[in-house]
This record gives sequence, structure tokens and C-alpha cells, in this order.
Amino acid sequence: MGTADLTEAQDRRLVESLRRGDEEAFRGLFGRYATSAKALAVRVVRQQHLAEEIVQEAFLALWREPEGYDPERGSVRAWLMGMVHHRAVDAVRREESQRRRADQMVVGLREETEDPAEDLVDDLARPQERRLVRAALDALPPEQRQVLEFMYFEGLTQTQVAERTGLPLGTVKSRTLLGMRRMRTALEELER
Amino acid sequence: MSQLDHAPLEELLAVRALDALDGDDAARLDASLREHGDCADCRGLEAEFAGTAALLATSLAPVAVDPAMADRILGAAPPARDQLAERRGSQRSRGWAALVAIAAAFVLVVGGVVLTTDRTQPVVGTNWAQAVVRFEGTAGGTLAMAFVPGTAGAAFWGSDLPDPGEGMTYEIWMIDDGTPIPGGCVTPVDGRIAVFVNADVGTTEQMAVTVEPADCPATPTSDPVLTAPLA
Repeated sequence: MGTADLTEAQDRRLVESLRRGDEEAFRGLFGRYATSAKALAVRVVRQQHLAEEIVQEAFLALWREPEGYDPERGSVRAWLMGMVHHRAVDAVRREESQRRRADQMVVGLREETEDPAEDLVDDLARPQERRLVRAALDALPPEQRQVLEFMYFEGLTQTQVAERTGLPLGTVKSRTLLGMRRMRTALEELER
Repeated sequence: MSQLDHAPLEELLAVRALDALDGDDAARLDASLREHGDCADCRGLEAEFAGTAALLATSLAPVAVDPAMADRILGAAPPARDQLAERRGSQRSRGWAALVAIAAAFVLVVGGVVLTTDRTQPVVGTNWAQAVVRFEGTAGGTLAMAFVPGTAGAAFWGSDLPDPGEGMTYEIWMIDDGTPIPGGCVTPVDGRIAVFVNADVGTTEQMAVTVEPADCPATPTSDPVLTAPLA
């Protein structure tokens, strides 16, 4: 059993315990994923305060509705990050004006994320895994990476990506699939 | 292995895993998934793409969260097991009783009647809540209506209702002789609503709730997400 399998098995046990109202199980999952969830939310909405709210909402949903997790539809991490991502892109799409302010906020974001506490968090949160994922992302053909980043990190829809890049919608979709396949292959071990 | 071709599905699932599917493709994917039915391959693809998307988040440097957040969450909501007890089949009657009690209590409050907890005194106004119906549908969450047949007014109590979306609200309809009559609009706060509608449901065959623009139209513009038969 690989590290990823072991982690997933532990996660599933924690979700089972959560279904019985086990607070320690909740703290276990929170400790494991909250900082990654916050990073994702910050990256998409580009506002620390809003990102914090999104993470809180997602973990509240985890605490209140652990039966929402369906093992057939993926790992616990995928489910959790999916909840965070859905909320983050919803927030972005609701407030398009935030998107227009994004460039100005990037500077502030960089300043905010240069929190001394982050170094500690960074050390604790699977740097090896992050390095591998970054390497896989960097290894993608640029046109595929760009589409994935627009969609996942900028919260753009496929139509918005087509508009921004000037590509036909069909091309956007096919590049998405190719990029996701390549990532999946490159990270096969981690993904499980 | 399903006999149907998964190639077209795969492209749409990949886009959806990134929350980027929109337009006709979203409906196309739903239709395609329905066509595939109980499809383990489809779920497998879904799981793989969801996992890959989640790994993209791992490429980001973690960001510290408020250390008090976990305590706030644990303090803000009852443990999942308590909620399950209200929902699950074998305990359904207990959950239903709780729902009735809450709805009935709400009716009593809105009617200006005070229930006493003193066991030596008679409970006042128990005849007020003579009917409680629970809505069913695709919206998610819980919605119940309490009313007194023959008396104008109905109280609605809901929890865990999803946000109807920016610029949207829930609108309550009374279906009389097939015609929807508006009963008012309400937007949940933290998934909850508690509202009294001053309308007579005496001749209503069915109650319905739709998601509508915030200006609360006089006729429904979408299909009901929740319904409750009264007849």
C-alpha cells in the first residue's frame, strides 16, 4: 500500500468517525487539509477574508454532512477540495467586480501570504507532494497548462477561457481533457 | 463496462471537475450521464478527474488558517450524528416529531400564544397546529409548513436550504385548481427560513416553491424545487 493509499484509508476512517459525531476526527481532517483548502480559496478569490469564510463553510459542511461523501466518486481530499473550489468559483462568479480588482490584489496577496506562520505550515504540509504536482504542471505543454490554470485557479468557465484565449470552445475542451489526462498519468500514484 | 461510448463524456467530465462546465454542455453531460444509467465507468472517470483537480490545489503553498476556526465550526453546529438521528429511516418518526414540534412552536409564537413549561398548567393553544406538511423535492434541505385548516395564514420553517443564488429568491406558491397563486418570497439566512404567510391555504391542493428573480414575479418562471400536497 502506497503513502497515498494509506492517507486515503485514514481519511475514510476519519469520515466514518465523523458520521458518529467524533470531534477528534473532524480536527484530524481539518488539520490535514485546512491549509491547502485555504491556499486554494485564496488563489481563486484572491481575498484572505473571503477565502477564510469559504474554508469555514466547506468544513462546516463536512462536519454537518459527512454522509455527503461518496467513496465511489473519489477520495476524501478530492471531495473536500471540490467543496472549497465550488464555493470559491461561485464567489468569484457572483462578484465579477472582484475579478476586475484582482490584479491590484495580487500585490496585497503576495504580501499577505508572506506570513511568518506560513513557513511553518509549508514545512508540515507535504512539500514533496507539492513539488511533484508543480513539476507535473510545469511539464504540461503550455497551451494545456494555461487552460487548466484559467479554469481551476482563475475560476473561469470554458466559455470565458475561449473568449480570453480566442480559441474555439472545442479546442478549449480538448486541451482540458489532454491536460487532465497528462496530469493524471504523471501523478497516478499520488492521485490514489 | 458500459456499452455506450465514454469518449464524449470524458471531455465534459474533465471540464466539470474544474468547475468550468457551462452553457449547453452542462445539460448535455447530465443527459449523457442519465443515458449511461448506473455506470461504474462514469463514476470512475468522475473520481479520477476529481482527484486530479484536487491535486492541482496541492501545487499551491499552504496558507495558514485562523487557529480558532475548528472550534468555531464545532461550536456552531450539532454533531453530524444528531442530525442523522433526525433523518434516518428507523429514526424517522423521531425526526418528524421534532419537526412538528418546532413548526408547531413556531405557529404558537407567531400567533401570540405563549406555551408554558410549567407542568401544572394546561398547555395553551395546542389546537393551533392542526396540520403540518413537509415539502419534498430537489432543492435539498428541509422545509415544513404548519397551518390551521379554515384559518388564514401558514408558517414556514426551513433549514439547510441552499442559497438560491445571486439575485434570486425562493417564492412560495399555492396551487388552486391548477393555478399558482403567489404566497410571497423568502431568502434563507444561513440556510434557514422562518416566515409567516398571511394567505388562506384552505382551498389549496398543493404548495410549491420555485427559485425566482428577487423581484418576486407574479407567475412562476421556473419549475418547482419543492412541493407539498395538501388535498
